[in-house]
Amino acid sequence: MRAYLRTIWESVSTLVTGMTITWRHMVNIRKGNVTLQYPEERWPRPERDIGFDQDDYNVIRSRLHVDMDDCIGCLKCERACPVDCIKIETEKVEKGEDIPDVGHTGVTSNGTKKALLLTRFDIDMTECCYCNLCTYPCPEECIYMTGGPNSEKHPIDYEFSQFDRNDMVYRFAKEASEEQVEKATGVKNGEKKNG
Amino acid sequence: MIVDYLIDIIPFAADWPGLVFVSVVIFCAVPVFLFIAVYALVAIYGELKVSSFMQDKIGPMGQGVGLHAGKWGLLQPIADALKLILKEDIIPTTADRKLFILAPFIVFIGAFISMAALPFSQTLIVADMNIGIFYILAVSSLGVIGIILAGWSSNNKWSLYGAMRSAAQIVSYEIPAGLSIIGVVMITGTLSMQGIIEHQSGFVWGILPNWIIFQNPFTFLSFFLFFISGVAECNRTPFDIPEAESELVAGAFTEYSGMRYAFFFLSEYANMFVVSGVAAAAFLGGWRSPIPGVLDTPGWGIMWFIGKSMFLIFMMMWFRWTWPRLRVDQLMSVCWKGFIPIAFFNIFGIGIWKLLIG
Repeated sequence: MRAYLRTIWESVSTLVTGMTITWRHMVNIRKGNVTLQYPEERWPRPERDIGFDQDDYNVIRSRLHVDMDDCIGCLKCERACPVDCIKIETEKVEKGEDIPDVGHTGVTSNGTKKALLLTRFDIDMTECCYCNLCTYPCPEECIYMTGGPNSEKHPIDYEFSQFDRNDMVYRFAKEASEEQVEKATGVKNGEKKNG
Repeated sequence: MIVDYLIDIIPFAADWPGLVFVSVVIFCAVPVFLFIAVYALVAIYGELKVSSFMQDKIGPMGQGVGLHAGKWGLLQPIADALKLILKEDIIPTTADRKLFILAPFIVFIGAFISMAALPFSQTLIVADMNIGIFYILAVSSLGVIGIILAGWSSNNKWSLYGAMRSAAQIVSYEIPAGLSIIGVVMITGTLSMQGIIEHQSGFVWGILPNWIIFQNPFTFLSFFLFFISGVAECNRTPFDIPEAESELVAGAFTEYSGMRYAFFFLSEYANMFVVSGVAAAAFLGGWRSPIPGVLDTPGWGIMWFIGKSMFLIFMMMWFRWTWPRLRVDQLMSVCWKGFIPIAFFNIFGIGIWKLLIG
């Protein structure tokens, strides 16, 4: 009889203990909540310390970006890319001609005269292997991973998803109408200079 | 009560029983069904939130540009209901088609017709029968037939296991539930739901309301026996072995989908309300105010009754998200070795108390 009653007492008391625990969690939900409502709230990006200062050197390779105003169309990045995810097409500009209509000043921020009009500068980020090899040969330092020294202008962004796979191809070339291209290059549409 | 009014109001009721039937359907059955539907939405939302809060989550939430689930996820139960209604209704080829279709409705009818004797307030009760509580105990066990039909007709081993467990469990737990109610009937001397609540007026022990749960220590114990047996009859955790997800997929409901599954879901919640309502009426004073004499009008009666029932339903959710499931043998030993002896002891104690103290 004693054992019978003790069993009942033990089960009841342990059940009540469990219920007080869940009750405590329920009333303290504001403090104990672990859910993050993702698109509206984000965890802070953890600090990384691998011997570099993030402001000087980009330790996180997140996403390629090109400052088109500085690009001279030398194709060095395209050749460096081991997976051929960069596609560049250029048109030659007539001597002395600037192309201000497309937003280019004709001169890069390093002072180099631009001789080519970029009609296409596509980076397919689905193919990119984040090796960072394209950023080293660039003479104008206009292609780089976001963040790092450029973090003021281009903060690190590691959340880039799209509904359509084609939207993962970043088209950096500025839109130019055929007339603008014609005017800058002196080539009629469809014709190509021989040679 | 409402049925009596209707018969009084319609002067030629005796000549036209069909008219009485139609008016009872319109004025009793449809409102009760709507009440169950609305209450189920509220209870599902409550269950989502209570379960989340107890697990340190925040449950369904809607923010931002898109309307995900409304403010605080308030539209979540409506979205769930819509999803269940719109889903494809699959009937397995090898299932016993007629029984398979019939089963969810039998389960729902068991819960639905029990609501007829629940006293929502002094005047609001579909039918105040002189055997009200007996009627509820009798018809609420109709649901087990539906569950067995569902399990048998699905032609699936999980379903059959679930149905067998459910039958064993409900039949066993009806005994302590009924024995606890016998104590109430001994004290009040009536089987009518309104009569039981009428008995619980005034004060007891000086300050406490004269609810049956407070009248003596044996009834206090009886309340817990009845309520926990009721939880077991609803197949709720910790007594949810008939649909134990981790063991039996979904027990008797494995093969059901869409609208038919929604009916099982609805009847589970309706059953919870019936059990809570009977516990509230028989032990917690039903529509009586917690402070006797204050706010004791019929209008407030609805609020007190539904408030007490919802509190007990919250207790069920609290149980569900705290306690682990019992094993089959543990379930039976709790019932036959624990609850039933204590229930008999209670009946004896209540009898002695009534004889000696009053």
